[in-house]
Amino acid sequence: MSKGKILVIDDEDIVRTSCSRTLSPEGYEVKLVKSGFDGFKLLEEEQFDIVLTDLKMPEIDGIEILRRIKEKWPEVEVIIITGYQTVDTAVKSIKLGAFDYLEKPFTPDGLISSVTKAMDHKKTD
Amino acid sequence: MRVEKSLHSLTGKLLLTIGTLMLVGSTLFWYFLLKHQEKELLENSVKYAYSFVDYVKKSTRYGMMTANKLLIQQTIEAIGSSEGIRNVRIVECTGRIDYSSNPADVGKTLDKNRPPCSGCHGPAGKTRDSAIVSFSKDSDDMRVLKIIHPIYNEKPCYTAACHFHTEDKKMLGIIEAEVSLAHLDMSIKNQGIAITIYILIFLFVISVALCTILWNLVSTPVSLLKQGMERVAGGDLDYTLTINTRDEMGDLANAFNAMTADLKKAKNELLEWGNTLEKKVDDKTRTIQMAQAQLIHSEKLASLGRMAAGVAHEINSPLTGIVTFGHLLLKRFPPGSQEREDVEVIIEQANRCSNIIKGLLGFARASAAEKAPVNINDVLDRSLNIVRNKADFFNIKLVTEFDDSLRRVKADASQLQQVFLNMIMNAADAVEGKGTISIITKNVIEDNTEFVEIEFRDTGTGISEENIEKIFEPFFTTKPVGKGTGLGLAVSHGIVLDHGGKLLVKSKPGEGTSFFVKFPADKEKP
Repeated sequence: MSKGKILVIDDEDIVRTSCSRTLSPEGYEVKLVKSGFDGFKLLEEEQFDIVLTDLKMPEIDGIEILRRIKEKWPEVEVIIITGYQTVDTAVKSIKLGAFDYLEKPFTPDGLISSVTKAMDHKKTD
Repeated sequence: MRVEKSLHSLTGKLLLTIGTLMLVGSTLFWYFLLKHQEKELLENSVKYAYSFVDYVKKSTRYGMMTANKLLIQQTIEAIGSSEGIRNVRIVECTGRIDYSSNPADVGKTLDKNRPPCSGCHGPAGKTRDSAIVSFSKDSDDMRVLKIIHPIYNEKPCYTAACHFHTEDKKMLGIIEAEVSLAHLDMSIKNQGIAITIYILIFLFVISVALCTILWNLVSTPVSLLKQGMERVAGGDLDYTLTINTRDEMGDLANAFNAMTADLKKAKNELLEWGNTLEKKVDDKTRTIQMAQAQLIHSEKLASLGRMAAGVAHEINSPLTGIVTFGHLLLKRFPPGSQEREDVEVIIEQANRCSNIIKGLLGFARASAAEKAPVNINDVLDRSLNIVRNKADFFNIKLVTEFDDSLRRVKADASQLQQVFLNMIMNAADAVEGKGTISIITKNVIEDNTEFVEIEFRDTGTGISEENIEKIFEPFFTTKPVGKGTGLGLAVSHGIVLDHGGKLLVKSKPGEGTSFFVKFPADKEKP
């Protein structure tokens, strides 16, 4: 029995791999996709606890993904991963209901800590 | 040469013109006056001649009536001896001289075809019966007036007892008289000389008066004016003309003085302009250079910020991989093993890369500030709380002198904190872990504008003069490789400028450094 189901959306292969290599040993079931389209498709089919999404991507960006998830699957917690942080995007993300905001390069401990908090938050709701 | 010059002068020309006109006028006057006088005198002489002949006629009348030839001859001789009378004769119609002041002529017969008879007796035997007056010249070249007067046959003549004349004759003879005009000529000549002398005296007096008047009214002012112009042309603009007349010359002098004054004013303005021009150009050039430098600087920072944003996005993903896999690898090696230490180096260096990227991102963020009135003292307190517990600050004495009445500043508090932290960290580096860092806040007024000033003073090694110019440049650092990115001050500077503030530095090598951050005070008082 896994601790939870996590969907990672990032156009960078190395970031996706890093997430799965960090979170899988911790007992999470991790699914990896490289675009918002693929992510939405998977979200239609399966139920996830947490979505980790990159902010800046071609076609659909992280803010748009966050907005749609919060519309359709409000129970799913979203953690934004970003290559560079600005006050604007951080404020916007939190306002739209993102649980956390992770700056690249994050450490495995930082990622695990953020995901654990998100799971705890989800459980208490 | 001098005479020629005088003739070409204004006075010379005027004198010559007026002199010539006066000379011509005087000559004409002189000529017509003399002619008129001569005519008058001659007319008088003729009248005198008529009355003289009448006088001869009346004097001899008694002799004629009594046919006393001797009495007539004596009377004629007596009359003829009068002064100015050259000759008096009574001639019969036949041409015989009956009586004459010159007794030798009596009895002679004159030719009818020669003067004086030819005057009345024309070639056709025709005679005239009126008096004839003529002028001739004598042997002394003196004029002589000759009058021939007819003697008519009157009733007493042909009714006298002597019966000498019969009634049928119309004319009995003529009286011929010659009067000398020597006196008259002399008088005319003397009058001519007198008039000439008067005219010459008049001309002389007029000339002297004209010369004096022209000299004073024209020549002197003109030469003064010429002298003045030469002086002004020579550069003496203080020269003023003193011609105190109310005529055109006075006006000209006043105009000249006004012109000189204007010239002087214009020259002074030009000189002053020329003197200050260089300074003005220098000032302007410096301002432009400074503005240009600032523009280049901010453009440099902006493009660096844009580049940093792009680089950050691209680099941070691979760095995530390096950090994550480094940590994964770390767990496989036992603590203290060489492999574990090597992997730690990899992770550490990846983090360093990340820090450099974050520093670069400061440029991109500087423009996205949310400004609100902020109490600087509070922001400083928060910043100090962050550093106070850090190991680096254990041996550093932090002294604060905060002004409680400090004005608020419209600013982004988080950006201000970034700046203050950077200042404090730099000061800590400067004192090398041991010393005093003082933070002083106060209100100041510069250029009529209220500023809030924050001073970060350290007791460190100071900054050398060659470095002090470069400290605000991105990537300039004196810290050892790996310790500083050289972006902290550059980013701080950018943030301070973005808030309309100033970042200044004063340093004495060996004694320490003071950084002054100044922000314009918020206009709305708390």
